[in-house]
Amino acid sequence: MKRLGLIGISNIVMALWTVAIWCFFQFWYPYHFFFQEQNQIFLCSWDYISTYFEKSGGLARLIGDFLTQFYYYLYVGAIILISCLLLIGTLLYKALRNFKVSKAVALILTLAMMTSVAVCHFSTSYRLSSTISIVGWGLLLWLVSLLPCWKKQLAVLALTILPVYLLFGLPEVKKLQGPDLILEKDFAVDCEYYFGNHDEVIHLVESSSQRTDQMIFFYNLVQAQRGELPDHLMKFTPNILGTFYKIGPETPMLTIRNMNELYWALGDMTFTERAAMMTNVFSHDNRNVRMIRRLAECNIVSGDTLAAEKYLRILDKTLIYKRWADNVRLYGKDIYQKKMQMVNRRDTITITDNAHFLMMQLLDTNSDNIVALDYILCSTLLLKDITNFKRDYDRYCIETGKPRLKTLYQEALCIWLAGTDASQEDWEKYIQRTEVFQRFQQYNQQRGSIQFKDTYWYYFDKIKAPEI
Amino acid sequence: MRKLFVYIVFLGLIVSCTPIPENVQHSNEQPPIYPDYCDVTIPENIAPLNFLLRADCEAIEVKAGILTLNTCGNEAVFDIDEWKALMQQSRDKEIEVTVTALINGTWKQYKPIKWQVVSDKVDPYLTYRLIEPDYEIWNNVQIQQRCVENFDVNALGHYEQLENRCMNCHTFANQNPQLSMMYVRGPGGGAILNRHGQLSKLDIPGSVYFGFSPSGRYITYSTQKIIPAFHSMPAKRLEVYDAESNVYVADIQKHRVISLPLLADSLKFETFPTFSPDGKYIYYCAADSVSLPSKIRNLQYRLVRIPFDESSGTIGTHVDTLLSPDSCLQTPRKSSVCHPRISPDGRYLLYTVADYGTFPIWHPEADLQLMDLQTGAIDTLAVVNSGKSDTYHSWSSNSRWFVFASKRDDGLYGKPYFCYIDKEGKAHKPFCLPQEHPTFYDNNLKSFNAPELGKGKVPFDVNDVAKAMKQEAISFK
Repeated sequence: MKRLGLIGISNIVMALWTVAIWCFFQFWYPYHFFFQEQNQIFLCSWDYISTYFEKSGGLARLIGDFLTQFYYYLYVGAIILISCLLLIGTLLYKALRNFKVSKAVALILTLAMMTSVAVCHFSTSYRLSSTISIVGWGLLLWLVSLLPCWKKQLAVLALTILPVYLLFGLPEVKKLQGPDLILEKDFAVDCEYYFGNHDEVIHLVESSSQRTDQMIFFYNLVQAQRGELPDHLMKFTPNILGTFYKIGPETPMLTIRNMNELYWALGDMTFTERAAMMTNVFSHDNRNVRMIRRLAECNIVSGDTLAAEKYLRILDKTLIYKRWADNVRLYGKDIYQKKMQMVNRRDTITITDNAHFLMMQLLDTNSDNIVALDYILCSTLLLKDITNFKRDYDRYCIETGKPRLKTLYQEALCIWLAGTDASQEDWEKYIQRTEVFQRFQQYNQQRGSIQFKDTYWYYFDKIKAPEI
Repeated sequence: MRKLFVYIVFLGLIVSCTPIPENVQHSNEQPPIYPDYCDVTIPENIAPLNFLLRADCEAIEVKAGILTLNTCGNEAVFDIDEWKALMQQSRDKEIEVTVTALINGTWKQYKPIKWQVVSDKVDPYLTYRLIEPDYEIWNNVQIQQRCVENFDVNALGHYEQLENRCMNCHTFANQNPQLSMMYVRGPGGGAILNRHGQLSKLDIPGSVYFGFSPSGRYITYSTQKIIPAFHSMPAKRLEVYDAESNVYVADIQKHRVISLPLLADSLKFETFPTFSPDGKYIYYCAADSVSLPSKIRNLQYRLVRIPFDESSGTIGTHVDTLLSPDSCLQTPRKSSVCHPRISPDGRYLLYTVADYGTFPIWHPEADLQLMDLQTGAIDTLAVVNSGKSDTYHSWSSNSRWFVFASKRDDGLYGKPYFCYIDKEGKAHKPFCLPQEHPTFYDNNLKSFNAPELGKGKVPFDVNDVAKAMKQEAISFK
């Protein structure tokens, strides 16, 4: 009874510790699982699976990547992780006990091991396959511990160490680090955007006390697609639109992926495809399911069905995205009908990925592209480049007969009109919202006053423009 | 290890289900097989043409001459020994291949296809670079050598050993594996010259495209300032052009560079140099410079040649034009010539034509053409070309085969295709490099870039390249 009780206590402690780890990963760190899932792809194809066995540790990588695909589902990531931890803990504890290590020491060592492995999962570059590798070695340790004498144990160890190495490899050793909760917030916004939960993106960003560039980037991306970017541009400073980034060899993968989302929202399929391919280049095994989906999408939008089919065939071999691929194959043209109208139909050649130039090309093709229009106007306003703002506003709002009477633009136009001593006729032509004009007059009497913090005039006078 | 795993899996599958056709319905359609091996000409030394049927089928039966293959699913994977026997037996004969598939419970037999087996062998080794099709940024680049007689692959350059550097252009002298060169880029990089397995690092300034002279003493190469550009129309994707390009000759024995103002004219672009097999000429492409990128559609290269004397290492002074953009290509529009390559017997000149520019890899209209150097006749190779880019070719040492990179399947990922030129100079329908597993190309996300044929396996490996990289580079005067 006493013995059972002690074993029970060990089990209970391990179980409670596992539940604590689960709670942390499930409630404070879930988006790291989504990030892992999106940045790999697992294909149910023997050709693909056989590549796992080109190097040692093939089985561990195979199981790890296979299980990682299920991180797509809510709760599953944390459940898989704690299942592995529990397995490691059980095997280690039992092995230590078989080696006659005292219960207390065995329990302490087991908990330390489980915690170390859990801590490794704080890092985005640590893969589940490493944990599976530890499970493999734990299994060997337990099997050896079952043998009665040290000679047999040594003999079995000598015989099995190579096969275990070939199957499970060596686990990756990570420098222990604390959880990156800022990055978790970035992933949260990114994933909610990817899942199409745009309201949640707004909520996450607005309710956060500490906003990162990534969070503001996605906030703007959501607002732009709602046609409300100019209404919210002055909300956060410094602001990040993403339009000043350029992709190069040193650009972080997350930035390239963000650029992919921006280009897709703008409707530039050339650069959407380029950013998607580059994200793949820097992903695990040079594959990234989120970008494979995007490549299929952007080729459907640009009408390249052969290229789209290439990626849909890959997705057909996944357990999670097969249905998505079937759906896109059947109804892609309907699903992306609106996006297809945004695509550039004129061919020009540029040596730069200057977003301003790209957006001008898109607007020259389709002046109804409100996302591109707001991004181009807001970008020049962030730079306080009133001259180019006015040029673009004239080109895409006045000459097309579609004035965009957003407060932000009216405020910026006031600056241009005042700065150029414009005629009454011009003021009447551009400023069609009397409340803006009245407020501009008030601002001029209290220039720089904090009560005008929400206006572009305040930004123009008081806030430093981003350096590019 | 990998092979063992595949064999175990396939054995399991074969044993578990091998349905045999019954109540077969005959169809007039060609089987939708991938890669497209319908009615192709193949060398007797090629690896098994494993393929898959693009149909939702439960099982297939393939009859190819003496071989009968029954398998579950849609993949036909031949036993390599049985395949070799079939090839030996079918030398210079035609094999009729019948594909019968079990689709929705009914066996459907497709119209038989033919494989013409020729005794003219293709060079057994193919080297290529594996890289994502967007060549601007790389990660995990490899240069591999594949034996086309089986499925063995070895790496000549591997990112793990070479600090994830960019590598490109592995070229043989006369398809001879004992003399070859490749580039490893980046700080401390250089041209890695292989002479009978002895590797040395050469610092040949700015060298990009190159070719060996017949004796192997000289290389002719071009230097270019390469600019990547982007088309706003998504279907056209990428454009790459040279802001400057010149042609030189390097003496790799005396480590000196031979230049001539005629080949380094600042008002012209000179590129893609290659020696004729007798070493008497350097063939290359040249264009008058235009304002770039705005006038790129006006940038058409012509095919020219200049004499070269291998005994003295001197370049001639008169440039002959063989093909000009608007005179010789049998198309109403102007065309730009790229990548001239002469067959080792000196009879044919194979080159690529595109509407403009110097980077046909991203030009869907890029096609191969074949010029008979004896008669001047041009074959537009209709049976070889596709609606997507067909370019970057290399000859087999017997001049009966060439390999080229084609994007015909998806417009994005280049794959090596082999084409047979018979004794009458007639081109036959090309076939794609067979893979051990037929779904390989479907799953693959890298382009087979710059495929080159060689007569044998190179006498070095990636570790030797890594060691050579640590050497001091031999500079050229």
